[in-house]
Amino acid sequence: MTARERRTRILQMLQLLPILSVLVILFGGALVMALLQSLGFAPWFGINTFPDFSHFGSLWGSQTFWVSLWLTLYYATVSTLLALVFGTILALALIKAFPGKWLYKYLYKLPLMIPYTVGIALAVIMLSSGGVLSRIVAFAGLIDDPGQFPQILKTHYGWGIIAVYVWKQTPFITLAVYAVLLGIGRETEEAAAILGARRGAIFFRVTLPQILPGIVSSTLICFAFNVGAFEAPFILGGGFPDTLPVVAWRYFNDADYTLQLQGMATVVSIGIVAGVILFAYLWVYRRYERRMGRH
Amino acid sequence: MTQVRLNSVRKQFGNFVAIENLDLDISSGELVALLGPSGCGKTTTLRMISGLERPSNGAILFNGKDVSEQAVQDRNVGMVFQRYALFPHMTVEKNVAFGPSVRGESKAEIARRLDEILEVVQLTPFRTRFPAQLSGGQMQRVAVARTLITKPSILMMDEPLANLDTKLRVEMRRFIRDLQQRLGITTIFVTHDQIEAMELADRVAVIFDGHLAQYDTPERIYRYPRSLDVADFMGATNIYPGKVLSRNRVSTALGEIDCLHQDDRSVGESVQVLLRAEALDMSTGPFTSEGSGMRGRIKARDFFGASVTYRVACNDQEIDVTENARRMRDVGDDVHLQIAPEQVWLLSG
Repeated sequence: MTARERRTRILQMLQLLPILSVLVILFGGALVMALLQSLGFAPWFGINTFPDFSHFGSLWGSQTFWVSLWLTLYYATVSTLLALVFGTILALALIKAFPGKWLYKYLYKLPLMIPYTVGIALAVIMLSSGGVLSRIVAFAGLIDDPGQFPQILKTHYGWGIIAVYVWKQTPFITLAVYAVLLGIGRETEEAAAILGARRGAIFFRVTLPQILPGIVSSTLICFAFNVGAFEAPFILGGGFPDTLPVVAWRYFNDADYTLQLQGMATVVSIGIVAGVILFAYLWVYRRYERRMGRH
Repeated sequence: MTQVRLNSVRKQFGNFVAIENLDLDISSGELVALLGPSGCGKTTTLRMISGLERPSNGAILFNGKDVSEQAVQDRNVGMVFQRYALFPHMTVEKNVAFGPSVRGESKAEIARRLDEILEVVQLTPFRTRFPAQLSGGQMQRVAVARTLITKPSILMMDEPLANLDTKLRVEMRRFIRDLQQRLGITTIFVTHDQIEAMELADRVAVIFDGHLAQYDTPERIYRYPRSLDVADFMGATNIYPGKVLSRNRVSTALGEIDCLHQDDRSVGESVQVLLRAEALDMSTGPFTSEGSGMRGRIKARDFFGASVTYRVACNDQEIDVTENARRMRDVGDDVHLQIAPEQVWLLSG
């Protein structure tokens, strides 16, 4: 290596330093600390039983943990899938020319700028029993009293949670898929139509494989967020058994601070589950890409 | 074999009129070029014939049958896009087999036709490659094969030679011509390049601003353009205002020039006189025969390899003369220019 090459190498390292320090110290450090605590290392609470797997043991040994895990994955998966379907349809529509498109292009992005908590508040106002929707239905005479309105929020079906996630994430997926669609242009679809392909064949055989990178990256981000998010299931969820992030929050807030270790074990469990699922997802996608000849 | 007819076709996008009352007749098996500057409406015309756009007015007929309202999938046409529009996620064979596969052909039939067509376009060794691994010429051949395998009644091409380098152009031109003649398929292509149009087409439709300016054989369009715009677009440089002196003589700033007998022009009428640069004979000797003789001096010389173009000053005017490069003349030489009467073309105005 010449002196000149060494200099550029050092310069590159210096340029990478800010982001590396954030990643290593803040993220990596926190991860290591969480792992250590979940394994019984917390001298600042006067606890040091490291390595101690009992926190994981008691967590994974209880039936409610598995229910919580199921609820967490159920809300995350259903809302990601719904947002994906709506977002893709919206993106496909936005590619076409129609009157008032410019207005639509602003409107659909609105939820992106509104915080989740505001979305949750909107869900409470609109969807709760006694909310706007129930009153409208009662006013229309479909039910006698707003109280008879079917319960949407605070059930384990999680319609409220799903509604908020889908409302917030549909524009996000639209944005990602729309950008990819703009990049690939309309020509391959037109070529397919001339070759005799109908709408369905065009979408599944020509468009979808080309927008897949956008779909994978945007659903990855949404799913990861949905697994770890806590406000929506906390406010709109059906109560015990809660989703894992809410369970972790309850442990952290418990008067018995030693339960923080149990909370850490919960957090680490969320991390493991999310990590395994996301890596499996990426692995399947990579295999598909390789089969398509992309490297 | 399909004959195509456009009956006063009009296309409007919002307030913009792309095509205004276009009438066009394309015989079956003919190779026709739609030629014009970018934005003249030629691609829109092609897209209307293919069914990707619907005409705002007028009708498109295939073999006398109105197909204006027919969906693109049902027209059985083929289109080779300018940038080929290959499916990037499919191999060459998947790309080519796409048409028959979505039309529900049997696997055995697809395999048979695939082998055959890959042989025709000489892409058999590349069948498992992806478009990104091919050269421009190979991609174009894939696009052609992908279209031909569906046995289209009309083949359409958008700027077929535009993206290729000089050597490949010659190769592809021959390939397209041979293929078209062998299959006898009605072919329409769009180009903004007059050379490309002349190289390939049986007939050329020149389109300006959504109007058909002239529709004729390449030779006639080149030699006998119907308007100044067409002459200009076909690369004519020597156009001079003149006056008809008699039925077969015009006067211009260059001098008096003999032309063929003009039945439809009256004496004294103002005309534009077109003298093709390569139709002028240049000599340094004395006049060899009676006819249009002009005296001039070479001011500049442009060497193009096979040919040379001289700029000659003549009676305070400038005139371009193109000669075979076998013999070179020098700047400053005094020359005589002559042109045969049948090479002189008069335009109105």
